[in-house]
Parts: sequence; C-alpha cells; structure tokens
Amino acid sequence: MSTTWLPCGVYHETYAQDHAWWQTRFICGKMVLLAVLLFGVIPFFADSYELSVCNQIGYTILGALGVQLLIGFCGQITLGHAAFLAVGAYTSTLLILEFPWPAWMMQWGLAYPISIVAAAIVAGLWSVLFGLPSARVKGFYLILTTMAAQFITVDFIITQYISQIGGRGQAFSLPPGTIKVGPWVIDSDLKVYFMMIVLVIGCVTVLANLLRSRAGRAWVAIRDNDVSAEVMGINVVKYKLLAFFVAGFIGGIAGAFWISNLAAVSPEHFPWFWSLWLVGVILIGGVGSIHGAIFGSIFMVAIMELLQLAVMPLADSFPKLLMDFLFIKEAAFGLAICMFMIFEPNGLAYRWWQGKNYFNLWPFSY
Amino acid sequence: MGTAAGMKQGDELLALSDVHMHFGKVAALSGINLTIRKGEIHSVIGPNGAGKTVMMNIINGLYRPQKGTIRFKGKRINTLKPHARAKLGIARTFQKVEVFGGMTVLDNIRLGRHVHYRSGILSGAVYLGRAKKEEIEHRAFIEEEIIDLLEIEQIRHKPVGMLPYGLQKRVELGRALALEPELLILDEPLAGLNLEEVEDMARFILDINEEKRWRVTCLLVEHDMGVVMDLSNRVFVLNFGNMIMDGTPEAVQNHPEVIKAYLGEEDLYATRA
Repeated sequence: MSTTWLPCGVYHETYAQDHAWWQTRFICGKMVLLAVLLFGVIPFFADSYELSVCNQIGYTILGALGVQLLIGFCGQITLGHAAFLAVGAYTSTLLILEFPWPAWMMQWGLAYPISIVAAAIVAGLWSVLFGLPSARVKGFYLILTTMAAQFITVDFIITQYISQIGGRGQAFSLPPGTIKVGPWVIDSDLKVYFMMIVLVIGCVTVLANLLRSRAGRAWVAIRDNDVSAEVMGINVVKYKLLAFFVAGFIGGIAGAFWISNLAAVSPEHFPWFWSLWLVGVILIGGVGSIHGAIFGSIFMVAIMELLQLAVMPLADSFPKLLMDFLFIKEAAFGLAICMFMIFEPNGLAYRWWQGKNYFNLWPFSY
Repeated sequence: MGTAAGMKQGDELLALSDVHMHFGKVAALSGINLTIRKGEIHSVIGPNGAGKTVMMNIINGLYRPQKGTIRFKGKRINTLKPHARAKLGIARTFQKVEVFGGMTVLDNIRLGRHVHYRSGILSGAVYLGRAKKEEIEHRAFIEEEIIDLLEIEQIRHKPVGMLPYGLQKRVELGRALALEPELLILDEPLAGLNLEEVEDMARFILDINEEKRWRVTCLLVEHDMGVVMDLSNRVFVLNFGNMIMDGTPEAVQNHPEVIKAYLGEEDLYATRA
C-alpha cells in the first residue's frame, strides 16, 4: 500500500511536514478522538466482559504485530510465533516467582515491569536462534523450521523441563497480588485494560517508527527482492535476524503481558494453533500493514465473541452446539480466511486505505 | 563525494585478471582480463550466453570465480560479500528490473542510500534526534540530486510495482545512483525501452558520467550497438567466455572477428539518426 492521497489543497513546504505521521488537522482531530475513546470512554462505560474482550484484542494485536513484521514486512513466513509468546510468559512468571527480588523492589512494584523487559529480550534472543535457518532457507522450508521452534520450545522444553521447576510439573499458579506495576496491583479487567493500551500503543509506535527508518526499509527490501537488497548494501542475514529479534521481542512483551490476565500459566495457553491463528489474523487484516494487525485482531476476536453470543441462546434447544463450540470456532476461523482470500485478498486494511482515499479525494475519483 | 582520495581520471578502478568461472562442466568465463579506468564508460558486448551477466555478477559478488583475482581501487575483493562491495562503491542495475515493487519510488531510492545512513535500530525505534534529522538530510539529497536529475517528481509517492517498465528502469537507476557509487554496473539499461525512453536513458548515462557532480565510471552491458558505440570510451567483446578484443569503438567495429561473431556484415552498428 502506498501513501494515502492528501486532500485537495494540502501542500507541504518542508520535508519534515511530508515525513510527519499526521499531516492534516483532520487526522490530528481523528487521533484525539481515538485517544478519548480509548482512555476516556471504553474504560469507564464498558462492563467487565467487554473489557475482557478488549484485553483479548490487545493481546492478539501484540502477538500479531510480531507475525506481521516477519511475514508482512520481512517476508519470513513463520508458523511458530506462539513459542516466543510462551518464552515471554514463562520468563516473566519465573522471574516474578523465583527470582530473589529485594523487598523494596517488590514494594515499589518493579518486579513485574522489569520481568517484562527481561522476557522481551529473552524471547527476542530465542527467536533469533530459530531465525538462524532463515539465512539459508526461505518459503515453505522456513515454515517448517519455525514450526520446529513451536514444538521444541513449547511441547518439549517448556512442558518437559520448565514446568518441573519447583516440583509442580503442571502449571505455574500466580497468586493474587504477585502482578504489581508500581503502586497498582493488576487484579481487575480495568487495570489489565490500561496496561494493554499502554503496551499496544508503545509497540505500535516502535514498529511504525522502525518501518520508516533504516531498518524497516531494509526489511521490506528483503521481502520484495532479497538479491537486489544484498546488492544495494544490505547485510541480508543480519537484517533477517534483526527482524526475528524484534518480532520475538514484541512477542515476549505480549506473553509477559498476558500472564496479568491469567491465574496460572501452563503450556496449553500457547498451542501451535495459536501460531496459526495469528497468521490468520494478519491475512484477514491485511499483510504488510500495521493497520492490518490491528483490524485483523479486532475482527477475529469480535467474530468469535459474536459467535458465542449467537450459540448461547440456541444451546437450550441444541445442547450439542455448546459441546462442540470449539469445533464451530475453528470452522468459523477457516471459513473467515477462505472468504477473505477469495473476496478481499488484501485484507481489511486495504479497504480502510481505499475508504480514506475516497474521502480525501472526494468529489473526484482520482 | 564519489571520487576516492588520490584517484585521478584514467587510473585503474577495477581490474579482473585471469578470471575463470565454470558451472559444473560448463565454462562460463575462461581467463578474462579487464581493466576499467576511472571516469570512462566501458561497454561489454557479445552474443546471448557469452557470459556478460556472469561477469557482472562476479564483479559485484553474487558469484565467486574459481580462479583469478578482482581488484577494486587496488584492493583484492574476491572474498567480499555483495553488500560489502556496495559499501566500497559498486552499484548495479539488473537486466530484468529488480526493484522493490511494494515500496514507493522514494523508499526505493532511500534504500539505495542504506550504506550512507548512520542511525541504528534504537534511534530508529524512537525516531527522535538523529534518525529524524538524518531522514530529512537524505530526503533533501534525493530530491535535489536524483529525483530532479531523472525527472521522476510526479511519481515519487507511487509504489514502484505499479509503474510502467520504462519508469521502473529509471527508478532502478536512481536507486543505484543514490549509493553514490564509484563504479556503476548497468546491465542492459535499454532493453525493452521505446525509442524515446532509450534516448532519455542514454542522456542520463552520459549525465552521470560527465557531470562534475557525479563523474561515475560506468560498466555498460548492452545490445543496442548504436548507443554502445556512441557512448563508450572502450568496448570489450566477449564470446563464449573468451575475450575477442578490448579497444576503442572504432577499432571494435573494424575488427574482422568481432564482425563475424557478433556485429554481422551489415551496417547494424551505425549511429541512430
């Protein structure tokens, strides 16, 4: 997708204006409205269920951003992203539960924020490890090596070894009060919501900035044409690994964030299906656009919740529906992807872009 | 910029000596010697399959020859990867355009300046201070030096994949120029262009070779004999991996073996009217 057309009569006189994110007053106004909606309207008017749906969306966005970076911007197809979410979640959990934090740090609520940063770095490095094959293979072969990341990390290392730490053998339970950010104990959907919003805005900003600077251009160049990227002076292997690092980093943040919403962390939270799901999210939202990750997450989570709402009233007369809900969900996922591939292969973000252009250029068609 | 310290016009810029390259049992190049002097336009001609593109790939590092040395500014560069050679100042365009189709024209050219950017991933992530300032400096360079030269102002925000072929070739040239190369390899820059586009492209090549601002040494692979004979200072003729001759355009046109192998008896190489 190229840049959006500016409305008639908007001219730039400096390069800085042309490089700015929000180039017209209208867009600035729109962003202020969005901020009001996110910080002022949703948190105070939504009930606990709606907030939990928002949190689910936020978690999906954080996960999908990493997948979008790898698949959509760097062209490295990955089917093992849940592994890095798991690494993030487990690093954070283990740090909180097992690390001998000094009492003042616990009191100031620093343990969890620090563990998020550590989780992001560990997940980033873990991701680089499984990104190494990308130096040699691409396409279908890379799908298999990233799937290996999923099975080695979650099904083998975490299930067989990490889960044994402390002799529990199953899940790590997170006692109430352990997740504390500064003075706030994260114990309600509302607090999780605020944390989610801050993290999502932070990660989106960082990714968008990267994409308009040196590293981001190198990634897109590798996606579009790796041979000429190499010839133009890009160290392709280095930038591929950097993409894996940043994707794993954001994935680690996502995983570490999600434990605030869980009472216990277990390997079942990070199945291979979740990796596939994230790829589905960006396919529906639009490959190669940050909007895509966001729209796709909203769409997928909303559809699943609506499906649930639709099934509930029917369950009285058809109890089997409730029993089979998991399968209905997966079928809906498959159907949604099929429909999008056929009718809008560019995803929701493309429709959004078209709509913006339409109104910017109105009443002319070009 | 552009010119290396202490290098004068006419000094040896790139030298291939006794370069052998074979794929399995097929010898693509057998014992090539080529010297490119600073400031010249040196053309390579030859029939299809003669090994011209293999030679270009060897110079910018996509292939490694089995035998022989490649020297750039007196330094042996045999073992350097393509991206490292780009840093030294070797840029190229491709026979079939290899642009970044999903990026805008501006981003394609910005990418050509990759080796001149200094900001790292952290300053890029926050996009304050150096990264932001650097983007504007490079933007000014690109607008004033490249977009203006190549006359592509009106398409700067268009994705390159949607442009017609002739403009894609122009963008590819712009991307290579953005590197501010000392040696520019042009692999069939005129293939598939119409007459007007050929004339434009020939003018751009002359501009970047002769204008004081650029003074880029060009290595040109081309089949359009009229253009080759008009533009080149020297012409290198290749056939089945062997050099037939290397000399001035006049000498090449009159060389009996060249005529037999490639040019043909008729007056094909006459300058276009």
